[in-house]
Amino acid sequence: MSEMLRDLRLADPSLSRFDPMRRIICFDDFDRGFCGWTQLVGNYEHNLDSMNPSYQQHTQPQLSSVTHWDNGTHGGWDGTYALKVQTRPRKGSRNVAIKRLTFRKPGPIRLEFYFTFKPEANELRLSETDIRSVGFLYDLQDPHEGGHRVMPHLRFLNAVDGKHVQKWQFKRVTTDVRPLGTEGKTVTHDHLAPDGWEDLPGGQQKLCYNEIPTKVNWHYARFDFDLAAMRMLEFQCNDRVFDLAPIGPIVMPAMRNLWCMLNIAFFAETDVDKRALYYIDSVCLSGEF
Amino acid sequence: MLPHNATAVIARNETWEGSRASEPYECGWASEAIVYVRALETPVKLGATRARLQISPDGIRWVDEGAKFKLPAKKDALSFARLRHFGNWIRVAVDLPKGARIKLLVTIHLKA
Repeated sequence: MSEMLRDLRLADPSLSRFDPMRRIICFDDFDRGFCGWTQLVGNYEHNLDSMNPSYQQHTQPQLSSVTHWDNGTHGGWDGTYALKVQTRPRKGSRNVAIKRLTFRKPGPIRLEFYFTFKPEANELRLSETDIRSVGFLYDLQDPHEGGHRVMPHLRFLNAVDGKHVQKWQFKRVTTDVRPLGTEGKTVTHDHLAPDGWEDLPGGQQKLCYNEIPTKVNWHYARFDFDLAAMRMLEFQCNDRVFDLAPIGPIVMPAMRNLWCMLNIAFFAETDVDKRALYYIDSVCLSGEF
Repeated sequence: MLPHNATAVIARNETWEGSRASEPYECGWASEAIVYVRALETPVKLGATRARLQISPDGIRWVDEGAKFKLPAKKDALSFARLRHFGNWIRVAVDLPKGARIKLLVTIHLKA
């Protein structure tokens, strides 16, 4: 990257909080709307009942002003709105927001975003162990026959059964792939099923949570991935940098309709009968091409 | 820039019985909304039951806004209600009589 390009971006207040690679593929500031983020709907054929139950629970992401009953509107990093992914109020419930792209150059890409999370503030207590996890994933597929569908997943496991765990995890397994309907064209599997998460080596991290359930602080995340090798490279959250070379993504044979797919998703899970609220302030996806 | 509009699917393929409400939907960016309910199967014993639009100061506590509308009586039929000046959150609530049931799709159509 040239010095001029770097300096131009540093002089732009909306971009200077990111470190994009040479080409910005998308820059999503939710003060401009949904920017292509929608709910992850499950696959089905003929009837919605054929949808995997774990996907039935998903709902639409929201443009949120991060407003609370006791202190009003918090707002985003630098404006009013953030994208909100909200679970249902049942222990183990999850929700997923997704943006669907394709890639034109297999090579290094970088996902950066600012995020925070809180449970619904319906109790006058800290509630720091109410959210099970927040995380993100790519859903990718090689451009050629004989290639693979590749799904790197990372989540911050915040709490389990009241224990404040606070560590990063990854996933290499999904559920069995199940055919749907009668036409032989659609299948389903639950890559976000609760089983199969593994600890990222050295992945303990204490994130700023603040002192009541309605004070939020934004966190920075950066995820580097190589679309040519289909390997995870490096992950950064705030001041911590994690080497991802030793770990792997979910890998399965390429599917008939997904060539060059580049999907990004954010997901949240609640650990109690209370809604988890996962806020994304802004997203920058860039590539080295 | 053109004004924003968006459609949110807030209940999909859910079967409602008894007292039910859709999940809270935050949409303070919009100045008008239409809420549609579509019956995905033939509803059972709805009678004259009317759904209510509710608003909230915090997404947690809810009050009736005043708008009411009949639920669709047949499979694939639609009903709707319009709403303006609703603050930051909307949901649909209904108290179904004993034995009544509806499998539905609820969508909110929002314009800035």
